Amino acid sequence: MHRREFFKISFAAATAIVANLEASNTIRPRDNQKVLPIKFPQKRELILHSDRPPLLETPRDFFTTAITPNDAFFVRWHMPIIPTATNLDTYYVHIHGEVEKRLYLTVDMLKNDFEAVEVTAVMQCGGNSRSAFRPTTSGIQWGSGAMGCATFKGVRLKDILKKAGLKEDARWISLNGNDKAVMTKIENFKRELKIDEISDDTIVAYEMNGEEIPFLNGYPLRLIIPGFYADSWVKQLSDIYVTKEYQKYFFMDVAYRIPDNECECEEPDNLAKKTKPLEYMNVKSYIGYPKNNQKVKRATNLRIKGVAFDAGEGIKAVQISLDGGKTWQSATLADELSRYAFRVFTYNLKPMKKGKLQIMAKAINNKGEEQPFAHEIKWNHGGYKYNGIDSVTVTVV
Amino acid sequence: MKNIVLILLLSLQLSAAYTQKVKLPSVTFAIENDKNIKVMQRNCQWCHSYGYILNQGKQSKEFWHKIVLKMRDVYHAPINARDEKIATEYLFKYYGNGKM
Repeated sequence: MHRREFFKISFAAATAIVANLEASNTIRPRDNQKVLPIKFPQKRELILHSDRPPLLETPRDFFTTAITPNDAFFVRWHMPIIPTATNLDTYYVHIHGEVEKRLYLTVDMLKNDFEAVEVTAVMQCGGNSRSAFRPTTSGIQWGSGAMGCATFKGVRLKDILKKAGLKEDARWISLNGNDKAVMTKIENFKRELKIDEISDDTIVAYEMNGEEIPFLNGYPLRLIIPGFYADSWVKQLSDIYVTKEYQKYFFMDVAYRIPDNECECEEPDNLAKKTKPLEYMNVKSYIGYPKNNQKVKRATNLRIKGVAFDAGEGIKAVQISLDGGKTWQSATLADELSRYAFRVFTYNLKPMKKGKLQIMAKAINNKGEEQPFAHEIKWNHGGYKYNGIDSVTVTVV
Repeated sequence: MKNIVLILLLSLQLSAAYTQKVKLPSVTFAIENDKNIKVMQRNCQWCHSYGYILNQGKQSKEFWHKIVLKMRDVYHAPINARDEKIATEYLFKYYGNGKM
């Protein structure tokens, strides 16, 4: 390419960026979506986006506690064919590839032959709050309820790999579940992890909040990677394949990718050429009480409650603003269940003026990272990683 | 007799470890009915409910066209050239925002 041509093209690209910065404008995610009177197995009535594959969202009210109840926990499957019967006598995880000893581990073997560990962690869909992005990106237009926090019990992934015995040149593992696509050409929802990046907190879980994992959340086994977005948390885990080289999988190499640049952002007409898989979550908070459009009484105590989390640095502070983000006051933080868990915050006030009252919440983590305002969130083509400052407006009567 | 008891015990154990088949409710996500709904029926429902369409909100014609192409090229939906056009028009007619 001639030098002059190159300049011309980059100039055209630069103009496009300026024009589009004005066009792309992040709004607040969908809220107050209808809860339909339909109950899925082991679930209460939730926000329903689809029955096939099942997509259920948790309403705002549940985000006042550190632990999200199993029956209110969000559900997201990618594939329409999900085995609906599980025989625990024949169900096993197959560990194979670059290992000394091929293993077939049943749920009972995992429970009896390994040390049991527990981790409390936030599970959040990479596309949680996607409905905030403008222009609209393809993908499910979630409000902010594609997240939850639970205590998972299971076995360290490292311990399983140790038992199988990794060969010297083993570098990667592929993880696969039992759900399947209709079209045979479509790959399964496989994920891939670099072996030396697997933490002690990464577990193969068989329990969620002291019960069997609900069917819709991945019964009987689910991979738990605290700090990571949930697209990596394989449901109905059945296969662990150890390899020397990185394997190419659709859901690693094409889908669930974000721009590999500092702002992790791009323009609709000028998509980033270099991308990377979704991994660590950014700092976020969400108000569980009160709700938008709720009526509250004047001169009466109002106790704001919500949850804050990040990828495991831990939450340093949550601040509340009652003047549109001009001034901020510290909320009270409850005990930290784990550095990966929801941290409950509360803030008491007594509204004295009748009319609308806007309440905003902003979390800051131990690294000093804080949430941006909703309108400051930059666009990416998949609508991932939205973490704008939450806001609810109530009417004081 | 011993054998029968053993078999009984075995089958009891088996059933104890067998989880009851889960029944997922079937929910109708109604989309607008016209003569072209057949195109939607034969192309979209292989993999997902119409909830996926309704969930997107009102969008531009370009948006819907890109979605149709993504379903065909990425997710291998068997959409032929004629259906590609009809599906895009249908989606824009009922779930469009007026923008091309």
